Amino acid sequence: MKSKIVEGQWALTLLARHWTRGVIQVLLLQYTIQWMLLLAIIVLGLVNANFRTMANIQNILLQSSFVGIGAAGMTMIIISRGIDLSVAGLLGLSGVAIAELGPRIGMVPATIVVLCLGVALGACNGLVVTKIRVPAFIATLGMMNIYLAMAFIWTKGQVIAMESTRLRYLGTGTLAGIPLVFLVMIAVYIIYYGILRFTTYGRYIRAIGSNEIASQMAGLHIDRVKIFAFILVGFCTAIAGILLTGLLSSANAIMATGYELRVIAAVILGGTSLSGGRGTLIGSLTGALFFAVINNALNMFGVGAYWQYVTTGLVLVTALAIEATRQKLIGVFRT
Amino acid sequence: MSTDRDSLIQPAGVRQVPFLILFLRFFENLGLIVMLIIVVVGTSLIEPRFLTVINLINIAITASIMAVVGFGMTFAIVMQGFDLSVGSTQALTACIAASLLAIVPMPVAILGALLIGLLIGVVNGVVIAELNVPPFVATLGMMSIVRGVALLYTKGQSVLIVGHDEYALLNTGKVLGVPAPFIIALGTFVVLFVLLRHTPFGRHVCAVGGNKMAAISAGLKINIITVAVFGLVGMMAALSGVMLSSQLMIVDGTLGVGLELKAIAISVIGGTSLYGGSGNMPGTFLAAFLLAVINGALNILKIPAFYQYLALGALLIFALALDTLRRRLFARILKESS
Repeated sequence: MKSKIVEGQWALTLLARHWTRGVIQVLLLQYTIQWMLLLAIIVLGLVNANFRTMANIQNILLQSSFVGIGAAGMTMIIISRGIDLSVAGLLGLSGVAIAELGPRIGMVPATIVVLCLGVALGACNGLVVTKIRVPAFIATLGMMNIYLAMAFIWTKGQVIAMESTRLRYLGTGTLAGIPLVFLVMIAVYIIYYGILRFTTYGRYIRAIGSNEIASQMAGLHIDRVKIFAFILVGFCTAIAGILLTGLLSSANAIMATGYELRVIAAVILGGTSLSGGRGTLIGSLTGALFFAVINNALNMFGVGAYWQYVTTGLVLVTALAIEATRQKLIGVFRT
Repeated sequence: MSTDRDSLIQPAGVRQVPFLILFLRFFENLGLIVMLIIVVVGTSLIEPRFLTVINLINIAITASIMAVVGFGMTFAIVMQGFDLSVGSTQALTACIAASLLAIVPMPVAILGALLIGLLIGVVNGVVIAELNVPPFVATLGMMSIVRGVALLYTKGQSVLIVGHDEYALLNTGKVLGVPAPFIIALGTFVVLFVLLRHTPFGRHVCAVGGNKMAAISAGLKINIITVAVFGLVGMMAALSGVMLSSQLMIVDGTLGVGLELKAIAISVIGGTSLYGGSGNMPGTFLAAFLLAVINGALNILKIPAFYQYLALGALLIFALALDTLRRRLFARILKESS
């Protein structure tokens, strides 16, 4: 009898301890970036009336979307422990392709062709990485230069004007107050979430990122899965290229210089680990939104554009330093 | 029977195989030299003006500035890291050197710029080693921060260097007909080559890059080595910033965009493996020249500048394929010998 009470007390303390641990984990250790985004939005909304306006919120959603779309694919490739630096070149080439092909073969066929082009170039990246067996970092760096050159050669270094009203509507229009680009991004995230969560290849992507050798021993076709991940990047980058051309009403090869680093920054800020196997799409989406909110706030407070470089860098390094400390803390809690 | 005993006393394979590898190592840079010669000869056959002294000197200057950054980057890659902030560092230090020249004597200005570069590198190293942030993210963040600082420092304006003929000599000066930037690059090359190949520090860097866990177990102070290597990379970027400002004599905060990727590319084209553990300094030097010669050739043949992207990309993929082939070959030779 006595021992039972002691046991019960022990169970209660254990429950209490786990409960506090759970609360601490949810409040502080999990969803860090989501909490930070929420905090930033609340503070900015209270402090600045302009921040709360519909136009400004639309603007933030629009700005976050281009990085966000690219981040969906980049999350997949980083989870598989790869990386794709060629997205800026790929985006430029897709934009140039839609601007060149659209007037000639019609908008809908051109869009389909460009999406196929994105898939083909993604597969090309994947083939170079898997068949030549080089680190993805440097192989895709080389491919970026090649794509940039292709886009340049196609346009002879010119800016191509794009006068399709339909494409412009896609880039700038809104539906029920929400930018269409943002809705496209949400659709991309839903599809990619489905792939990552519910398909075999999605599970293989995670498996390869966690432990490539073990996956190989388990009989997975490593190369095929990696090429699949690269195709996912190529596909969503082509979408981003089409939409950006719609927004700008023009396309040129260097329309997305530095895009790869902004996308990777959003993915990393969202908690996806560069060492593979771990990461969430929702985190990347939040990361893209977070950068858009921060940049918007800096603009609003009249902080010069140059400071934005500094803050972007600081946010990134701080987030990762926090992440490293967090990992240590989780280790402490588990023991 | 006798052959068996011979092989026991003196395993034939062991003797021959390292020789084969040494032989291959010796000709490691031959591919680059051959390509260099092909481009030079080919271009000068089409356009004889390519071989004018002034054109060759320009190419040498471009190559030297690029090579200096490449040497630092090679060190980082040997340690299995890389530094994405070198382009921004080059811009910031070029601007700092230019603005310091107006108030202090030249050597102090140069020293100031180099120290700033060292500081940036050391901060990179500390963030990577002490805060456990991966080099990719740490230097990506630093790239953004330093770019912002460079633009803030110059307020987005250009900085003009006026009335410093002795500073311009860093670029236009010649010793026995050899342009000064090349001599600076050669000097840096010798120092860093010796540092990598023939000092304990260099061997430690290779050890950390080759197998980090083993290096820790062997008692190497990884953190100090990391900070030192990134400090070196930063200082090399600063040196290239000084050289660039003496070439241009008008600088701004937007210099050196994309330099980090070029520097990594020349290290890899030069034969330094991204898997870490070994570096090829002469290869980096040659690759810098190859890229500069290709750019010079495109310029003089009036081919649009954007074809250089194609050249860089194709060269990179080619070099990687070659590296893979070489690693497979070495692995096979070593396997057969054992």
